[in-house]
Amino acid sequence: MAATDRFDAIVIGSGVSGGWAAKELTEKGLRVLMVDRGRMVEHGEDYPFDGKSAYEIPARGKMPAALAKSDYFALNGWVSPATQPFFINDRLNPYDYDAPNKFNWVRPSVVGGKSLTWGRWSFRWSEADFEANKKEGVGTDWPIRYDDVAPWYSYVENYIGVSGGRENLPYLPDSEFMPPFPMNVAEKWLKERLESEFPGRKLINARLSNITEDKPEQNRTRCQKRAQCDRGCSFGAYFSTQAVTLPAARATGRLTLRSDSWVTNLEYDPAQKRVTGVRMVDANTGQVEVVQARMVFLCASAMSSLHILLNSRPAGSERSYFHSNGALGSAVMDHIFRVGVSGDIPGMSEFVEYGRRPGGVYVPRFRNLEAEDLPFKRGYGFQGAAGRQASAPKGFGLSMKHGMREYGPWRFTMSAFGECLPYDDNRVMLNHSKTDRFGTPLLRFDVRFRDNEIRMMDDALEQGMLMLRKAGLTNVTGGRGKHVPGEAIHEMGGARMGHDPATSVLNKWNQAHDAANLFITDGAQMASVSCVNPSLTFMAMTARAADHAVKQMSAGVI
Amino acid sequence: MDRRIALASIVGMLGANIFAPLARAIAYQPNPVINTGAPEIVFTPAQRALVTALSERILPTSDTPGAIAAGVPEYIEHMLGDWAITDERATIFEGLAAIDMRSIADYGKPAVKASAAQQDALLTLAMNGELSGGAPFFEAFRQLVITGYYTSEIGITQEREYLPVPGEYDGAYPYAKVKRIFSS
Repeated sequence: MAATDRFDAIVIGSGVSGGWAAKELTEKGLRVLMVDRGRMVEHGEDYPFDGKSAYEIPARGKMPAALAKSDYFALNGWVSPATQPFFINDRLNPYDYDAPNKFNWVRPSVVGGKSLTWGRWSFRWSEADFEANKKEGVGTDWPIRYDDVAPWYSYVENYIGVSGGRENLPYLPDSEFMPPFPMNVAEKWLKERLESEFPGRKLINARLSNITEDKPEQNRTRCQKRAQCDRGCSFGAYFSTQAVTLPAARATGRLTLRSDSWVTNLEYDPAQKRVTGVRMVDANTGQVEVVQARMVFLCASAMSSLHILLNSRPAGSERSYFHSNGALGSAVMDHIFRVGVSGDIPGMSEFVEYGRRPGGVYVPRFRNLEAEDLPFKRGYGFQGAAGRQASAPKGFGLSMKHGMREYGPWRFTMSAFGECLPYDDNRVMLNHSKTDRFGTPLLRFDVRFRDNEIRMMDDALEQGMLMLRKAGLTNVTGGRGKHVPGEAIHEMGGARMGHDPATSVLNKWNQAHDAANLFITDGAQMASVSCVNPSLTFMAMTARAADHAVKQMSAGVI
Repeated sequence: MDRRIALASIVGMLGANIFAPLARAIAYQPNPVINTGAPEIVFTPAQRALVTALSERILPTSDTPGAIAAGVPEYIEHMLGDWAITDERATIFEGLAAIDMRSIADYGKPAVKASAAQQDALLTLAMNGELSGGAPFFEAFRQLVITGYYTSEIGITQEREYLPVPGEYDGAYPYAKVKRIFSS
């Protein structure tokens, strides 16, 4: 990079949040450098398995166990040969935890981050989500409420395209929707049965960042129902940095994008209370460089942003500049996960599905919406779908082969995502006795689920099976697997937003209490996590923070 | 001197200024690649011949090609050699040996030389647990054949119908219009 290059802002990370920061800041006239530790992936041309069938994918698309164990152990079933190019190699990039409290830290290895491989379920938070900490005296209060974010939800939804159905539920506000992916005949049957058996509970269309109408102005085509999203989509049918925010930022002519750049720490002037530079190592040459700008947006993904902040410390000190109050790295959360229930839906055998939707249906949270006498706080929702698999005759030979030419019954499966509470002693820190290949102390996790989360998982299993049974499903099965924190890949918190600089890291504008020119808009900002998928909220909060930051810059405050 | 040790001693001599790049060079080994060429050899020629014959008995040629045409034997060797999800080698080896032993006892020839009907009888004995290690062998072998077949090009595009770009979704598509069920 030429020494004459000058930037108004540096965006660290290029995933859901970083991409939005780059788009907003460049469109508002700033010259922006966006850096990512991962390798470059261009839209379309760098999706090697887009449009490929199973026989064209190494190992037929199932990750060999030895490779998963040696090199992709945090992924624990997530990575497949078709998505391996987008994920980090855990062996080469270790992290640390205490043995009893394992953490599965799933990390991408590419520009675009997890926006290429995310689940794409997109929900607004509700008023109750923002109020819960204060009402219950749990953790710290959010300094914002639903109304602060609502216009920004609308802003990002209109841009990215979110498909879903209007429901007018106070506990799950509607987005600016494109038409939903329709329910199939079995799901419609289940909706009617479930909602009449359980008044107040709902089964609704999935809310997805997969678009159901073209966006020609963004060169994006509506979803083609391939259900191969996580390999990258050349149609641009779901939100990713590559398909949506990167083209917008590039179109301004004010974006510089640098891949393969590992940010190790921020340089900081304690007297001025300003970030003065971003130190990065070129992953290919090992060259170290410090780049300066008036403002920094830290969007490296929640835990990586904490890693960078914790490693931003005076020479000779193990304590971060940003660790002034003890809040940094504490109250790390993940959604509860690993509860699933299934059952056969009787009848409708004269229908099958044509095409493959990217998502099915959702049972929104129904627990603790009103005062309820339950042994846990907060709630959970279920994501699911009904479909028909080939029947599975016993034996072998011609009778089996031809028997497998029939469809089996409709089978419905759903799994729970639930809210984890913020515990100050669920934390990440640096392990100064172990370093990575760039000389940075490893990030160490000390995070575990507590009684509230375990009881919630038990309740989700019990209620899930009860709902399917009472709705009239047969062969109902359910399970509650061991859940290692991190596995929901919704790890959040550690640099929470709050009213009080003594107990939080960020103010209500995502601006660091300790540095007016530092904004953190990824999952690290979260003071609680709701039970809904978080990415849409990161987008809205990033756009909101960028707007504030540029106004402050124009006013000369930054 | 081992390259790794050589680099480590250079770090020792030159000190910390170039620590990061050299540390990386030492630690770096490229991402492993999944073998998509010929499988790592797992079977003896005789075992391979028997696996080939038995896989075709599990999923035979009919109005569509069978397991051999779909490359199932090679898939099984890949799975046991370098694509394993779980290691089932011992189960497969023992089952093949038990089938061969029974074939020699019953028919006076190794199973690969037995007729199709005799091979079916041997597989049925294994399925019903009437051979030592037969039931676990049958279950594992059958699943390998099924997975290998229905993830092959023939399985996906000839035995079933593949929609690479469906374009639309119909959640109440008449079963009567389905000629071959859709590959997922």
